[in-house]
Amino acid sequence: MRKLLLIGLAIAACWFASAQANAAELRIPQTAVAGQALSIGTTGNGDATFYLVGPGATLKRKIRLGEDVQVKGEELRSAGRWVAIVRGSGGPQSQVFYVKPDKPAILNFSARPSRVPVARPNSVSGVAFIFDKFHNLILDPTPVKFSLSVGGTTASHTINSKEGVAYINSSSAPKAGAAQFVASVDDVSVNRVVEQVASDPCNLRMHVIQREKDQIIVQTDPIRDCTGNAVPDGTIVTFTQTDSTGRSVVDARIKKGVARAQLPASNNATIAVAAGVVLGNELHVGGGQ
Amino acid sequence: MKLARLLILTIGVAIAISGAVPLLKRILADTKPSVQLNIAATTPRAVEDTTQQSIVRDYSAAWQGLSSALANNNTAPLAENFTGYALDKFMERVKQQAQSGLKTRIVDHGHKVDAVFYSPDGSAIELKDTATLETQVLDGDTVIHSDQAQVHYYAIMTGAEDRWKVRVLENTQ
Repeated sequence: MRKLLLIGLAIAACWFASAQANAAELRIPQTAVAGQALSIGTTGNGDATFYLVGPGATLKRKIRLGEDVQVKGEELRSAGRWVAIVRGSGGPQSQVFYVKPDKPAILNFSARPSRVPVARPNSVSGVAFIFDKFHNLILDPTPVKFSLSVGGTTASHTINSKEGVAYINSSSAPKAGAAQFVASVDDVSVNRVVEQVASDPCNLRMHVIQREKDQIIVQTDPIRDCTGNAVPDGTIVTFTQTDSTGRSVVDARIKKGVARAQLPASNNATIAVAAGVVLGNELHVGGGQ
Repeated sequence: MKLARLLILTIGVAIAISGAVPLLKRILADTKPSVQLNIAATTPRAVEDTTQQSIVRDYSAAWQGLSSALANNNTAPLAENFTGYALDKFMERVKQQAQSGLKTRIVDHGHKVDAVFYSPDGSAIELKDTATLETQVLDGDTVIHSDQAQVHYYAIMTGAEDRWKVRVLENTQ
């Protein structure tokens, strides 16, 4: 009985020693970067199965314990939490490690609105999300340069991204035209076009250009905003004539920079002009005027 | 006679339990994970009440879909809840898992989420999530890795046809 017990103990000790000798362990480098090859050290001996489980990929291959496992850059594209597992004759061993994103390579840039009046404060916004070439969001603060240029004038601001996003809210430029709104990080830049249009008319004035027996024709001076940009053709200008018989209203579109209206002749009338919320001058017509 | 009745009753109860346990497990697995959303520090735009409710509903559904996809190697729940880079990434993961005979089981104990950025036009929202997850990796039916951890995620969700979809889901240290 005693002999049997001793034999049993000896077998158990051998089995334990063998298991320890074959036990697999993993050595993972401190830093791993997306898209860069990685060498993972193993200990123990014998054949085993190696697994790599990450956010966007899994890998399973046969290895020999004691040799390094080479993981190709293309197999390690996703940033985030990975688990390396080795399963040999002993129980499976695993280790968690993190992969950092590569350098900035993609900017996801949106600009709003696509059309905006000139010289309007805080009217143009730009949002840029920063990714590496494998579409991993780069969370480290990264300087993003935003520039808005139109008609030879450029306004630039550099904003540090926070949690993967950089955001700017800027004023539109004083000149009308297709403004180039550019976001750039290092040598990566993305361009959006923001159409800057003239703002509300400024100093809206009209005069009589023709008077006949039964009609009167009035026309505005060239209509511009307060920074001198021509208000676009097609903008509605309203002419209102008031006299003792009532009111006549004509909505005319700006054509070639000016708006014109035919109104009924009157002996004593007041004509007003307006575009949107902007009022122009008044004319009094009638009799010998 | 009395003993026979007792035996039959015992067998009946055992059968009922054996049927109820998997059913209960299934019901629990199909439950959406809890999401607590904090919008106090969201910039530059405040999150509207309806958007807040939609984000909680859709982010939770996305996690449920991800867990289901990884556990069953089925890509269908992904397309319903993910788009863009995140969809491509998880589709690839499921495809590779299926090829290797692996599965990932996630027991989701909930998400504490801060909305950190809400775009001025209301089209995108960025979330910072602290998730408490139990993760098991299985090769066939054998568990080869198991851990429970608080994992930090960043998610970007964008408005889709009838819901918000996850466009980016990335975990960090």
